[in-house]
Amino acid sequence: MTRPAPSRIDLVRGTLDLLILQTLRPGPSHGHAIAKHIQRTSEDLLQVETGSLYPALYRLEAKGWIAASWELSDKGKRARYYRLTPKGKTQLAAEQSKWDAFARAMGLLLKPASEEAP
Amino acid sequence: MTTLFRKLAWWLQCRRKEDELRDELAFHLEAEADERQADGLPADAAAWAARRDLGNVTLLREEARTLWSWVLLEQLAQDVRFGLRGMARNRLFTALAAVSLALGIGANTAIFSFMDAILLRALPVADPASLVVVKWRSGPAGPDSPFVMHAMDGSTYDDGSGTIAPIFPFPAFEQLRAASGPALSRLFAHKHAGGVNVIVGGEAELARGEYVSGGFFDGLGVRPVAGRLIEADDDREGAPPVAVLSLGYGQRRFGDAASAIGQAIVVNNVPLTVVGVAPAEFFGVDPKVNPHVYLPMHAGPALQAHGFKVVDFVDPNYYWVELMGRLNPGVDLARAEATLAGPFARWVATTAAGDAERANLPVLRLEAGGTGLDSLRRQYSMPLFVLLTMVGLILAIACANIANLLLARAAARRQEIAVRLSLGAGRWRIVRQLLTESVLLATISGALGVFVAVAVVRVLTQLIANAEEGFTLRADLNWHVLAVTLALSCGCGVLFGLAPALQATRPALSPRLKGRAIGLSRARRFSFVPRAIAKQALVVAQIAISLLLLVMAGVFVQTLSKLQSIPLGFNRDRVLLFDVDAPQAGVPEDRVAGFYADLLHRLGGLPGVRDVTLSHASLIKAGRGHPVTVDGRPAERTRLLWTGPGFFTTMQIPMMRGREIGEGDRGGTPAVAVVSERFARANFGEADPIGRRLDIGGSMRENGVPRAFEIVGVAANAQYGGLKRENPPVVYVALAQVAADQMGKATYALRTEGDPLAYGNTVRRLVHDADGRVAVTDVRSQVGEIDQTMIQEKLFARMCTAFAVLALTIACVGLYATMAYVVARRTSEIGLRLALGAGRRTVTWMVLRDVCAIAGVGLVLGIPLVLATSRLVQSLLFAARPSDPLVLMLASGILAVAVLVAGYGPARRAARVDPMVALRHE
Repeated sequence: MTRPAPSRIDLVRGTLDLLILQTLRPGPSHGHAIAKHIQRTSEDLLQVETGSLYPALYRLEAKGWIAASWELSDKGKRARYYRLTPKGKTQLAAEQSKWDAFARAMGLLLKPASEEAP
Repeated sequence: MTTLFRKLAWWLQCRRKEDELRDELAFHLEAEADERQADGLPADAAAWAARRDLGNVTLLREEARTLWSWVLLEQLAQDVRFGLRGMARNRLFTALAAVSLALGIGANTAIFSFMDAILLRALPVADPASLVVVKWRSGPAGPDSPFVMHAMDGSTYDDGSGTIAPIFPFPAFEQLRAASGPALSRLFAHKHAGGVNVIVGGEAELARGEYVSGGFFDGLGVRPVAGRLIEADDDREGAPPVAVLSLGYGQRRFGDAASAIGQAIVVNNVPLTVVGVAPAEFFGVDPKVNPHVYLPMHAGPALQAHGFKVVDFVDPNYYWVELMGRLNPGVDLARAEATLAGPFARWVATTAAGDAERANLPVLRLEAGGTGLDSLRRQYSMPLFVLLTMVGLILAIACANIANLLLARAAARRQEIAVRLSLGAGRWRIVRQLLTESVLLATISGALGVFVAVAVVRVLTQLIANAEEGFTLRADLNWHVLAVTLALSCGCGVLFGLAPALQATRPALSPRLKGRAIGLSRARRFSFVPRAIAKQALVVAQIAISLLLLVMAGVFVQTLSKLQSIPLGFNRDRVLLFDVDAPQAGVPEDRVAGFYADLLHRLGGLPGVRDVTLSHASLIKAGRGHPVTVDGRPAERTRLLWTGPGFFTTMQIPMMRGREIGEGDRGGTPAVAVVSERFARANFGEADPIGRRLDIGGSMRENGVPRAFEIVGVAANAQYGGLKRENPPVVYVALAQVAADQMGKATYALRTEGDPLAYGNTVRRLVHDADGRVAVTDVRSQVGEIDQTMIQEKLFARMCTAFAVLALTIACVGLYATMAYVVARRTSEIGLRLALGAGRRTVTWMVLRDVCAIAGVGLVLGIPLVLATSRLVQSLLFAARPSDPLVLMLASGILAVAVLVAGYGPARRAARVDPMVALRHE
C-alpha cells in the first residue's frame, strides 16, 4: 500500500446511513463515488468499509429514503446512481438535528475535560 | 405494512436484484482499480487492491440478500411449520373446524354460482348492456274491468298496484319499430312457439321452438357457427320457409352443425330448410326456454302451433309478441323510454273501444335487457335467496368455530407467549406467527372448500336437471364468489387471530410466568352462569342459528310430507303416461278423434296392459276451465277434463253413482258428462244429479250457444291440476264428443303389470307404426309425474335437512371445544373440589349446568329469530309454518339432545380429574 494508514475511526452503527444521505444531498451519485466522498471529506479519517456500504445502500432503498437508477457515469460506463427521495430528505433533516444535539452534548461533556488536560 | 409489501415485491424481482448488485460491484471494482492505476499502480496490482479493499464479496451479497426478505420467507416457513405442529396436537378440533369452514365456503360458492347463472349472468351476446326489454304497465286489469287487451297469449303479472306485461299486438311492434329510430338502433320481436313436432329422417320428436322476427339475430349480434341465421328477408309472408337450429340440437339430430345446413326437416307437418346453426352459448333470450329450433315469425300461421293465425299479425287488441331492442350509443334507458312512450300511447289510444277502455291504457316502459327475460328470475329468486341466507348462516357458524378455536388457543398460550416475549422476541414477530396460524387454517379450509363447491354444484345441477324438463342451464363454479368466500374466511381468521394475538402480547410478564392463577373461581351457583354465557356469546349465537335452520328443515320436510300424504283419489301405482299430439303432427282435424280411438285400441291389445284410457291431459297437469252453468246458475271454479272411455276404471276412481264414460259415447250420440262428488254437492246439494243437465260455454260453445251435457255419473273426488291447489269441482266430458277443431294433444294412461316405464319403447314403436309423423313425448310414470310436482319441495327438504344437520354438527363442535377448554382451564379448581369431597356427579352436573345455560339462552334467542323469518319463507311452504309449536318443540328437542351429547364429553372428563394429579400439576 502506498497510502499512509491514518488512524481511522470506526463508523458508529447507524451513522453510515446519515453519512450516505448527507453525501447524496447535492445530487445523485454512484456507490464508488459515495465511498470516496465520505473518505475525502472526512480527511480520510472515516474509512467506509466498502463491504458495508452496499448493504446500507440497499437498506436505505428498501426504506424508501433513496432511489436508484442505472445511468452512464462521467467515464461513459453504466453505473447505479442513487438520489435522495423527498422522504429521505425529511429523514436526513431529522437525523441531522438528532446528531447535532448528540454532538453538542458530547462536546459539552468532553470539552472541559480536554481544557483541563495539561 | 408498506415495508412488508415492498419487500414482497422485491422478493419477486430478486433475481434481477442480484444481477444488479453484481453489475454494481463490478463497476465499483473497475472504478477503484482505475483510481489506483491513476495513483501509479500497475493494472493487475490495482485490480487486486480494489478487490482487497472491497472485502468478502459473497458475504456482502449474502448481507444484501437478507434485505430482500429471505428472512421474512424463512420466518414464514418457520411459522407455518409451527402452526401445523400446533394443529397436529389439536387434531380433532382443527379438522372439524377446517371441514366445517370448508363446507360453509363450498355451499356458499355453489349456491351463489347458481344465483349468478340464473339471476345475474348477462346474455351471451354482443354488448348485452345496451339491450332493453319493452314492456307496458297499466292500472289493475282484471277479467271484469274493460281493458284494451281483448285477448292474449303470454303472461302478465301484478306488482301490487297494477299490471305489467311484456306482450304486445303485432301492429304495435311495427309502429314502435318505425318510431324507435332516435332511441334504438334495433327493435326485434320473438315469441315462444312451445313444443313443435320436428321430423328428421322419418323420426318425429318434440322440440322447443321460438318464433323470431327478421331482426332478432342481427339485433342481438349473434353470429352463426354454420350457415346463416334468420334474416329480414326470411320473415315475410310467402318467403321460402327456413329454420335455424341450436348447436346442441343440430348436433344431436344431424351429427354435427355443418351437415345440418341445407337439410330438409318437417316442423308441424310443414317442410322447412335448415339454413344455419346458432352458437353453443346462445340460449335465446330467456335462460329458461333455451329453444331447439328458431323459426321466422311469419311462418307461424302455416305451422299453426298454438292456434297461430294470420289475423294475429293485424289484430290490434290481441297481445302476444315480445319485444327487445338495442339502445343507440349515448342514449340511456329513460331517454329511450321517453322517445317510444309517446308514439305507443297515441297508437294504443286508437285501439281502445269505448271510454272505459280509454280510462286505463297501458303505458310503455323499458327495462334493462342485458340479462335476458326475467321469468326464471321471478320463479327462482325467492328459493335461491332463502338458500343463500341459509348457507350464509352456516358460514357464520363455521367462522364462529374458527374464532372460538383461535380465542381458546390464544388464551391457552398466554404463558408460552410471555416466555417468548421475556426472552426477547419482537412483539410483531409473535403476532405475525399467530396470524400465520389462523390464515393457515383458513387457507386449508378454503382449499377444501373448492372441492366441496365443485361437488355441490355438480349435485345441484343434477338435481335441478332432473326436476325441470329441458332445464339446460349450466352453473359454472364462480371463481369470483369463491374468491370472496375465501377472502371472508381468511378475513375471519385474521380478525379472530389478530385480536387475541395483540392481547396476548401485551401482558405484564411476571404474573403469567408464574403460572395460571389458582383459586376457586367464585363459582356461586348463580353468579357463574351469566358470566359463562357472556363469555360464550359465540356458542350461544351458533345455537340460535342452528335452531333456525332446524326449524326451516322441519317445515320443509313437513311441507313435503303433507304433499305426499294428500289423498289423490286415484291409484298412482303402475301407470304409464305419455303425450301424443296428432293435429300438430299433421293428422287432419276430422280424423284426429278416429286416430286417438284407434291408438287406444292398439294399446289395449299390448300384453301386460290391463287398462288403458286417454284424456286431454293427465289429472295432475290438467287445467282446463270453461264457464259451466247448471240451470242457468254459474258453477264457480269448475274445471274440465276431456276423457276417453274407461278413464275411471283405469285411474281406479270409484264411481259413486251412475256409469262412467264408455265406448258408446262418441260423436253423434247425446253429449254426456260425469261430475265429481264435489261438483254434485256444490250444485245439486243432496239431490241426485243423474239425468240432470249442465251447459258449457266459452270455446266449447256450439253455434254460439253453450253446449248441453247430460250427467250420467258421479265419481269420487280425485286430485286435479297439481297437489298444492285446492281441489276444484270437476266435470268430465267425453273426449270423442268434443268438436273436431278443438282437439289438441292427448295423454294416454296405461295401467300395467310390473314397472310401467318398461313399456316405454313398446309404446313408441306402436305409435310410430300407427303414424310415423306423430311423436311420443313426455313418457313418464304417474308416480314420477307426481314426484315432479313436488321436486322443488323435495329439493328444499333435502337441502335444508342437510344444512340443518351441518349447522347442528358445527355448533356442537363449537360447544364441545368451548366446554373442553373451560374444563381444562378449571382442572385445578375441579381437583381441589374433588379433594375437598365434592362428588363426581356434582362435578359433572356443574359442567352440564353451563351447557344447559348456554343452550337455553341460545334457544330463547333463536325463537324470535324463527318467528321473524317465518314470513319470509311462507310462500315456499304448503300447510306448514315455522311458528308451528310442534316443529318448534321438535327442533328444540333435537338441539337440546345434541347439545347435551356434545357437552357430556367434557363433563365426564371433568368428573374423571384425578385430584392428586390436578393439584400436583400446579
